[in-house]
Amino acid sequence: MKTVSRRQTLWLGGSAAVLVAGGVGGRLLLRKRYAPTPYDDLIALAHDRDAAAQIGETVLAEVDDFEPIAMAVRLRARIAGRPLATALTDDVAKGHLVEGGGWVLPEMLGLICALAAKAAG
Amino acid sequence: MGAFIDARTVPSGTVVHADLAIVGGGPAGISLALALANTKLKVVLLESGGMAFDAKTQSLYDGSKVGAPYVTLEASRLRYLGGSSNHWGGWCRPLDAVDFEERAWMPYSGWPITKADLDRHFVKAHELCEAGTLYYDGAAKITGSIGQPLALGTGGLMTRWFQFSKMRSSVLPTHFGERYASDLKKVSRLAVYLWANVTRLGLNPSGTYVRQLDVATLDGKKFKVRAKACVLAAGGIEVARLLLASNDVIKTGAGNSHDMVGRFFADHPVPRDNAVLVLFGGEPAPFYLGNQTTHGAILRAGLFPSEHFRREHEVMASSITVEGKVELDALGKAAVATTANALGVDASSASFHSLGCGMEITPDPDRRLTLTNERDALGMPKLKLHMRLADQDFAKYRLTLKELGRQLLESRIGMLKLNLRTRDEWYASLDWGNHHMGTTRMSVDPKKGVVDANLKVHGVANLYVAGSSVFPTYGAANPTVNLLALVLRLADHLKEELP
Ligand SMILES: Cc1cc2nc3c(=O)[nH]c(=O)nc-3n(C[C@H](O)[C@H](O)[C@H](O)COP(=O)(O)OP(=O)(O)OC[C@H]3O[C@@H](n4cnc5c(N)ncnc54)[C@H](O)[C@@H]3O)c2cc1C
Repeated sequence: MKTVSRRQTLWLGGSAAVLVAGGVGGRLLLRKRYAPTPYDDLIALAHDRDAAAQIGETVLAEVDDFEPIAMAVRLRARIAGRPLATALTDDVAKGHLVEGGGWVLPEMLGLICALAAKAAG
Repeated sequence: MGAFIDARTVPSGTVVHADLAIVGGGPAGISLALALANTKLKVVLLESGGMAFDAKTQSLYDGSKVGAPYVTLEASRLRYLGGSSNHWGGWCRPLDAVDFEERAWMPYSGWPITKADLDRHFVKAHELCEAGTLYYDGAAKITGSIGQPLALGTGGLMTRWFQFSKMRSSVLPTHFGERYASDLKKVSRLAVYLWANVTRLGLNPSGTYVRQLDVATLDGKKFKVRAKACVLAAGGIEVARLLLASNDVIKTGAGNSHDMVGRFFADHPVPRDNAVLVLFGGEPAPFYLGNQTTHGAILRAGLFPSEHFRREHEVMASSITVEGKVELDALGKAAVATTANALGVDASSASFHSLGCGMEITPDPDRRLTLTNERDALGMPKLKLHMRLADQDFAKYRLTLKELGRQLLESRIGMLKLNLRTRDEWYASLDWGNHHMGTTRMSVDPKKGVVDANLKVHGVANLYVAGSSVFPTYGAANPTVNLLALVLRLADHLKEELP
């Protein structure tokens, strides 16, 4: 049986450590990079961009004539600088809702998710 | 001492005389007989079955159906003393005042009586169901130690309550036959005939009066009952069959000069797993998930559209119940995490439950029962149910669910997923309340209904109907306690009418 020298062990150990570090760093490095969009400020309101894009796909299936740039302008005006939670509950109080895959969502949140889906291409 | 008589021992050709004949010994017939106990009236109650299930008797209920999915006619009811209460669920809830109103958005709506006409009978009706004190909308006051209703804030849906017939080991819940047999036996001027099938209402030549009831047993005995008045209490399907099949004088059937008998059949569709309820803060109070006993009452909470919401959005009544736990798929997990985060709430201990519902449907004259050429063992024509469901009824219920979703979001306590959209999806989820209603609907106008406000069949002087077949619209309340209130009102009327 081939024996493993102390030097090899150290090397292997070191490389394992490198690999582990590479795992974490790799995730950062390999993280999906999105091309910048003119509505990144809105997408940033969603806590997980990939999750938002997943919901957004289902919202896009429900809404007609979704033009991202114009939508972003309208959404900024509707949010009007308020905290997102406040803007959403006010919106929902007025009955502004959208469905995505059956989920009843605050309309503005659904539309932000739709922007994330558009950005994800 | 009242008597229980085995009709198979009555010699053929016998004529039994009475002041009142009640056809059917289910909750309606039994309660009517008991309500008349302290009168001088000689009452005969004719019950098709015996004290327990019998397959040959049950098969007299066989029939066919076409159209939208529905339970088979023989499976959705039971034919022996106690009727379908031998397998009912015991859910009770009075109809709302709005259910009695004529509403522009609901075709054929409007009862000829109001809720107020029935109110004084609900305590006794509840007592007959052994359902304890009436709490219903006041139940939140006695359930505080169990939990709190969902803080839904303002909006279309609110927590309301069902109460239940008393559960006990041998009779789960009140089986009217088993429970009240001994009380019936104590009624001195009452004779209960078991195994006695009424096969025909014998009308006078002008069709305006029932002269006699033809009774047959499965072993071939035939006798007649002559009574001053008759009450049909054979259940929401069979009453229509008896009227339609008694067609030797009026060709369309007894009391059916205007072709209304058998039309407007209704039940409560129960679409299972029609939505997912997410509560960000964890589990709902236990009274949403199952029955809770407190203050001598058995209670369960549901979510109901308010009267205001029903009027404003022209939706039907519905009663939403919280059912078993469900798991979310990846999209569901993303939706919950994203929404909770955006609303600024913690959803780390969120709960996920399936929703069920009892739905009201729009009255439809073409959802109906008709006779076929097939005959049962006693020679009576069998029934065919023409079942139809309007897509709009599901769409309106979906609108109600969506409002619940809106309220959950606005109050930041949760969110909702709607599971069903297409007709096929609704149909695949359908279960039924087995609440047979509408086939002899109440109306002051003989052209629009079969019975009048006193439950008397239009055009037939001494014939009445007791049961949910007289409901012109259906609400989302379970029918039995409501039909019993009507029965008690009928008893008061008969006490005045019959000498
Ligand atoms: C599975 C199931 C669950 C239910 N759960 C609930 C619930 O939770 N809450 C609720 O409010 N309701 C419930 N219901 C409905 C409830 O059972 C009925 O509302 C109730 O039984 C109706 O009472 P009834 O006396 O009008 O008719 P029935 O109970 O149908 O009784 C009719 C009686 O007439 C007899 N009969 C029939 N034809 C003839 C004839 N030709 N001659 C002589 N006798 C005849 C039958 O044998 C029977 O005994 C349920 C029904 C089913 C099937």
